[in-house]
Parts: sequence; C-alpha cells; structure tokens
Amino acid sequence: MENTINYGIDLGTTNSAIAKFVKGEVFIFSNPQDMGSRTLPSIVGYKKDKILVGKQARVFAEREPENVKSVFKRKMGTSESFPVKSLNQSKTPIELSAQVLKELKTFVNTGDNLDAVVITIPASFDTIQSNATKEAGIQAGFKQVVLLQEPIAASLAYANMKKEREMKEGQWLVYDLGGGTFDVALIKIKDGEMKVLDHEGDNFLGGADFDNLIVEKLIIPKLYENYKFSDLEDKMKSASGKFNAVYLKLLRLSEDAKIILSAKTSAEIEVSGFADEDGNDVDIEIVITRSEFNDLIKTYIDGTIEMIKQIITRNSLKAIDLQFTLMVGGSTYIPYVRNRVEEVLQIPVNCEIDPTTAVAIGAAYYSATKPKEIEKTGTKVKTSISIKTSYNKASKEKDELFSARVTGNTDGLSYRITRQDGGFDSGIKKLSERISEDLPLVDGAFNFFSLVVYDNQNNIIETDIEPIGINSGFGISGQPIPEDICLEVDDYDNPGETRLVLVFQKNTILPTKKTLTFPLNKSVLKGSIDEVIRVNVLEGTHLALPEANKPIGIMEITGSMLKRDVSKGSDIEINITMTETRDLSVSAYLSMVDQEFKEIFNPKVRVTSVNYLKEQVEDLSDKLELEIQEATDKEDFETAGALSKLKKEMETVSQETESLTSDDITDKRYQLEDKKRKIAQEIDSATKNKRIQQVKAHYFEVKEECEKMLDENGNDHERKTFNDIVAQESAFFATNSPLKIQEKSDEIHSINSKIRWRTPEFLTSIFQWCKNNQTRMNDQAQAKSLVDAGNFAIESKNWERLSEINSGLLNLLPKGAEKEATTRIGFGL
Amino acid sequence: MQEIKKVTVKVPQAYLDFMNQIFEIEKKATNLKEENSIQRNINKMKGIMEEEFFKGTTTIGLSFHNPLGESFTDTRTDCEATISGTSVENLEIIEVIKPIIFYAYQENDKTLKVIVQPAVVIVQSKIIHQ
Repeated sequence: MENTINYGIDLGTTNSAIAKFVKGEVFIFSNPQDMGSRTLPSIVGYKKDKILVGKQARVFAEREPENVKSVFKRKMGTSESFPVKSLNQSKTPIELSAQVLKELKTFVNTGDNLDAVVITIPASFDTIQSNATKEAGIQAGFKQVVLLQEPIAASLAYANMKKEREMKEGQWLVYDLGGGTFDVALIKIKDGEMKVLDHEGDNFLGGADFDNLIVEKLIIPKLYENYKFSDLEDKMKSASGKFNAVYLKLLRLSEDAKIILSAKTSAEIEVSGFADEDGNDVDIEIVITRSEFNDLIKTYIDGTIEMIKQIITRNSLKAIDLQFTLMVGGSTYIPYVRNRVEEVLQIPVNCEIDPTTAVAIGAAYYSATKPKEIEKTGTKVKTSISIKTSYNKASKEKDELFSARVTGNTDGLSYRITRQDGGFDSGIKKLSERISEDLPLVDGAFNFFSLVVYDNQNNIIETDIEPIGINSGFGISGQPIPEDICLEVDDYDNPGETRLVLVFQKNTILPTKKTLTFPLNKSVLKGSIDEVIRVNVLEGTHLALPEANKPIGIMEITGSMLKRDVSKGSDIEINITMTETRDLSVSAYLSMVDQEFKEIFNPKVRVTSVNYLKEQVEDLSDKLELEIQEATDKEDFETAGALSKLKKEMETVSQETESLTSDDITDKRYQLEDKKRKIAQEIDSATKNKRIQQVKAHYFEVKEECEKMLDENGNDHERKTFNDIVAQESAFFATNSPLKIQEKSDEIHSINSKIRWRTPEFLTSIFQWCKNNQTRMNDQAQAKSLVDAGNFAIESKNWERLSEINSGLLNLLPKGAEKEATTRIGFGL
Repeated sequence: MQEIKKVTVKVPQAYLDFMNQIFEIEKKATNLKEENSIQRNINKMKGIMEEEFFKGTTTIGLSFHNPLGESFTDTRTDCEATISGTSVENLEIIEVIKPIIFYAYQENDKTLKVIVQPAVVIVQSKIIHQ
C-alpha cells in the first residue's frame, strides 16, 4: 500500500477532474462516459430511479432545474439546500458535491481503493466552506481529505513542470477564467512555501457569456439585415419561443467559432435550416473576424483587469514586483485575453500549463507529499453478490433486452451498465434482485457492455459477472456464401477474352454489398442496339474461367436505353448487394450520363439470356476446336484425347441451343446452360497446364522487360514495387492459377507503362505517330498548335511537357483510334 | 470479474473534419428539391472512408451515423444534446449539428467499433413538436 495520498481532485464550479501521481508524473483520468474528455461537468441530476452526473445531467440542467442541480459550489457552507422535485426532498450542496466526487471515483481504472484524496477549493473559501468541502469528501467515501487552494494547485502544476528551475522565492498572479467563473489570486512563495496573499473574483463571468455575445451582437443583427424577423432575440431565448432550437444551435456554432478564432483570424458560421417570417429559407455564411470578437469581449476582460489592479494596489505592489501572470481556465486560450492582460498590466503572461487540467495536476503533485493517515481496519467491503445474466448473444434489433438475477444482499448497492464504445450509460441505478435494461446496439459490430456494482460510496463491489457481449448484424445468425461471387470483366491482356474479378469471397457472411468501379472498355452510342454493356455476375471460384462458373444474374444495357452517348474510359459503377435470403440485386451507374440501371435477381429464377447463351456456346465450341488443334499440333495427345471426348457433347449442346427461340419459356435454356458450363469446366481443367505455361512465359517476358527498363529509367519507388512482386513469385506460381500469375504480370506491366511514359524514345515515337495522323484529328487548329508545341518540347528536351502534349493529341483522335498507337498504355481496364 | 478493455482511439482531427464535411454535404443534398444524384457521390465518399481508405491496416474505416429523428434519453452518451423547449419528456432529436462518428477495426476476426466523435444535437419533446 502506498503511504502517500497520490490522488488529487479539482472540484470545480463548472467542471471537475481527477489525477494521480505515479513515480514523479501525474496522469489525469479520462471520463469513461465522455469520449476524449478529461473533465466531468459538476452537475447532478435526480431521476426517479437513478442519479445522473456530468454531461448527461447537463443536458437536462436548464430545462429541468427542479431535478438537475449545478453551480452548487457557490453555495458550499451555506444552509441553503436545493429542492429536488423527483425525490420530494432537498439536497445540500455537500450532498451534491459528494455525488460529483463519487462519479470521479469511477474514472479511476487502476483498481486502487480510493480512501484518501486532496480536493481543491477556491482561495476565497472560508473555514465553513472548506469544512463543507471536506464533509463532501467524507460522504463520498474518502477517509482522509486534504484541502488545497486552487491558485496554489495551478502554481504547483507550473512549478513541477519547470523542475529545473529553483522556485524558492517570488510572487505572481494566477488568472483563472473558466467556462462560467473568474478568479484571480496573488501567490507568494517564500522559502519554498506557497501562499495565497490576496484574491478577487466574479462568479458569473466565463466563456459561455462570450458565446452568447456572438449570437446576440453579431449573428442576430446580420439576420435582421438579410431576412425578415421581428423580436428574433425573444423568440430565440424563450424556451417556448419559435426559434429556441435555432438559438441553441447558434450557441454551439458560436462556441466552435470562438475556438477557431483562438488559432485563426477569422471563422465562418453557417446559419441555415429555418425560414424567416416571409417564408424565405435562411442560408447565410457569417464571417466573424478576431477583431470583431475582441471588441465584443473587451469590456469584460477589462473588468477582470480592474480586479487585478485592485489587488496590486491593495498590496502596494508594482508591476515589476510580479514575475508573471499564470493563465488558467479554458477561456485563457483566447489570444486577446492573454494579450490584453499583458498589455494593460505590463506583467508577462505565462501560458505554459494546460489551463483546463492544471488545478487537478497541481492537486496530484501536492497529494504525493501528503502521507496517508488511515488506520488499516479491513476497509475492503465484502459482499457476495452473484449475478446470472440472460440476453441474446446475437441480435439484429436496434436494442436488446438484458435481464439479470442478483443473489446476495443488494441493500445500499447500485449498478451501472456502460457500452464499451462509450455510446451508452445506464447511469447509476439501485440494484435489486432482478434488473432489466434495454441495451442499444451499434449495427454491424460486436457490442460489449460491462455491468459494475457499486456500494453507496461508489466503491466497486466484486461480482462474478462476465462481460456482456452482443453481436449485431452478422456472425452467429448470418449465413456464409458457399462459393465466390464474381463479375465478368474484359481481359486487358487478351483482347476479346474475359476474366473474373472477385466481388464477394466464399464464406462472406450475408447480407453483404460492394461497389466496384471500372472504366468502360468501349463507347456506346445512344440509340444503338448492338452496342451492349454487359454486367454478368457469376458464382464459383474467381480463379476459373468465366464460362466455367454459374451465372446468377446478367444485366444488359444497350445504347437504346441511354440518354446520351457514353465514351470509352468513363466510369461504370457497379453495386452488388446480396441479401440474407440470397436475393441478388445489381445496379449499374454510368457516371457520364448520370443514369442508373437496376435489376434484382432471384436465383430461383435464373436470368439467362438466350442470345447470350447462343453466343457463349458458339465461342466455346470454337475454343474447343482450337484447343484440340493446338494440342494435336504440339503432339500433346493426352490433352487432345481428353478434349475430343467433349466434342460430341459440345455438338449436341450447340444444336439444341441454336434451335431455341429468344423467348423460349421452358427451362431448356437452363439445362443447356448447365451442360455448357460443365464442358467449359472440363476444357478448363484439360488445358490448364497449357495456360499456366503460357502465362508463365508471358510473366517472364514482362519481367525481363521491366528489369531492363528499371535499370535504365526506373525510380526507387518503382524498383521497390517490382522487387515486392518478384519476392512473391514462388507463392503465386504455387497457386497454379493462370489468373493469379496473369494478375502479377499485369502489375509489372503497369510499372513498365509508367516508366515508358517517361522515356524520350517512347514519347517521341507516340508524338511522331500522332503527327502522322494529324489529318484525322477532330480539332485541326488545336492539333496544329499541339504539334508545334510538341516539336518545341522535343527540341528543348522538355519530356514532361511532351507527355502532356501526347495526351492532348490522343484525345483529339476519333474514338477508338488512339488504341492503334497505345494498345498497352493503360487506358481502360 | 472479467474487466472489459476500454479502447480509446485518437483519430486525427482532420479525418473527423472530413467526415463532418461529408455529413454536411449529405444534409444539404437531402434538402435539394430538384432531382439530382448527389447522394450517389456522397455514398461513394462514405464507402471509401468506410472500406477503402485504410486498406492494409487493422483499421477498417470511419463511418458516421445521423441520429436525426431518433429518440433521446439520458442513457445516450453517443450524443451531446441541448434541449429546446420546456418539456423534457419523450425527447426526439430534431437537429444534428455533427454526426456520431465510428471508428471500426479488426480484432481477433471481430469487427469492433468505437465512437470517436459523439453527435452534437438539439432535442425537443415530441409532444410539442407535433
């Protein structure tokens, strides 16, 4: 057990924080219920069955003052109490402060038993107020409470940061301007002991007032100027006013703008989303400059400076007697505040510490010097609480009912359920034998919740409960796809051929969706019937040939369906969705015409176009002939024999397909389709070796070419890409998949293309080719000027410019013509 | 008792700002009366941030949720709310200034999400609102 206190709490009027001293350093605990925040709003709300503290209580603070209490620190030590309507009783400032302290205890995740703490108080607190603060600490379950004045805490935080500097003598000011309060204190350090000599303050001045000023003085006048409103301010500020929601939004935006103005010289506020009294939509961007903002707050800042002057005069000091003004509190981020204070007082300001957490940090440093004085009398609370839970471990609902049965003595105990991502907090509720709670779930993720039991002082009670895990959206209840789902696309290296790209991998859990974008490989003219963009979705391994897989949906877009021509190279966006019941919907969007085509395929009714089937059967038949021929030529009689066996079957399929009418309603087409697929699979396996050899040969060819080009003109990045691919060589050869190897060849090929586009020889030859074709260009005048520019670029060896000119010239060529020059330059897929 | 690991993720503010901008555009696009296909580009951008952008890392992506129209209770810590009007019963989110931003990541084959930005919302009692 540590023998110093080590914990410090800044129990603030508006915000509180807790910090721990560990081996010479201080850590501030973050608020588990408020993402990324290290402070807790000092607000307590009472609902019938639970107590809210912090941010969630703040939401209700203004609207339900009868149940939510804030700024009670100002009333510490008075006999005043706060009536709480929902409880039908009153709460003293001490009780309310104790709730805040108890909440802060839940920030601590180190497993320490918090029994001693340093709590800070304003310099202005008298004995009664100080004792009241101490009492709040005791009520929150601390056995030892040590008090520390806030300006000293802030100064300590500073002094500890400046470890190297000996701070034995001196005096300075602590200027503390927070969200709602202002304090200034004169600190003196003598023989290493710090003391507050004098202080002043305003309990109703802070950053929130500045936000309000922005709305009142800058935004509302602009709205009057540009739109028609009457009594806008009243209608905004009254809770039942028409524009109350707008006002609250503007306050938020003004706060953001204020923060931006600390870093930039101007900030924009976008005011929109409502209509004026004539029904015109308000949509205006109001720019606020830093100087406008400074003018707004000037009077208030000057007011604080007056208070400082009083302190200086009272203590017969001169500016020169003070080392610096230490800036604390969030509002001291405002540059004007810093500058103005420095300018008027002629004392340098010191902004070296984090103004929002300095007090808690100082308290923690102080706590490390204070020994613990607690008798060790078995303080550990012992309870034997056992919790049996019941809930669905997988759910598609927005929320899931959680219930639990608690055995053991639940008297005086409470519980709290929180979601791991910080999006849900049940608040602290009374523990009873049976508890139930609706737990909201984040879609498509594992949701973890933890249930923690506390005693009446918010000390954690050990229970046997396991973390609550609910899987939302997929997993246990989702079903996997049995085979890959792929899309047929043009094979860039084998014009006229197609290959598959993977859309959903086997075992992907349904439902699922994916969007893929491809550049079109051809232009389609409006109105044409022959030009077809075909979106073909297939089921089966994506490493096979397209014809070997089962088509599950095919969509055809003909020119007659288009609003205008689409050019080669423009994007087609294909969106594929598969529901849990395996309904497949495909939508294709052509960005150039801004048109979308959508079809839903229910695999029970396989969509097989007769025309397409005929085409495929014909292709396959040709292919079979070709393969047999090739195998025979190479004297590969084994393959030739295997293929010849398929020939007869192929013939039957061909004949039967030919006899089908395009509107055949029987299921004949599906049977034929199936047979065709089986033949294709067999051809595929019989000729796989051949294809692998081919792609390997091609791979080595491309590789060699690339090595050469890299030597001559490659850069480091390209070299690395190349080496990475080559390093995987044995792995992708081992897959025995022609497609995989082809993919790698493509990758290397694209390196080649990139390099080539930089080489003078290639650029010059493309240019030369373009020049020869100049007469065919669409815009002769432009072509001429580009050619002139190109000649100049060659003369001046400006290759970058030549590359641009080439692109320009190629663009001027009639559709499809550029292919002649640059079949492999990287247009299209 | 098994403790649940608290995950705190710090996403660079620029990413959050970017997500907030997409959200803003989406909000404006839904208000457009003329027919348009802006939503498609927005979905594309959202898709990129959700699935493509961080490919190759344990990060899956960033996504946002617009809680407009959802009910609000004190248990919702995913929203920073301000109440408009006088009643605090049956609260509904009537205005979303910033959306909830989720950070999704992969851990032990599970997709986990953390909130990296709570929504900033204005809420109002449904009773008055109707």
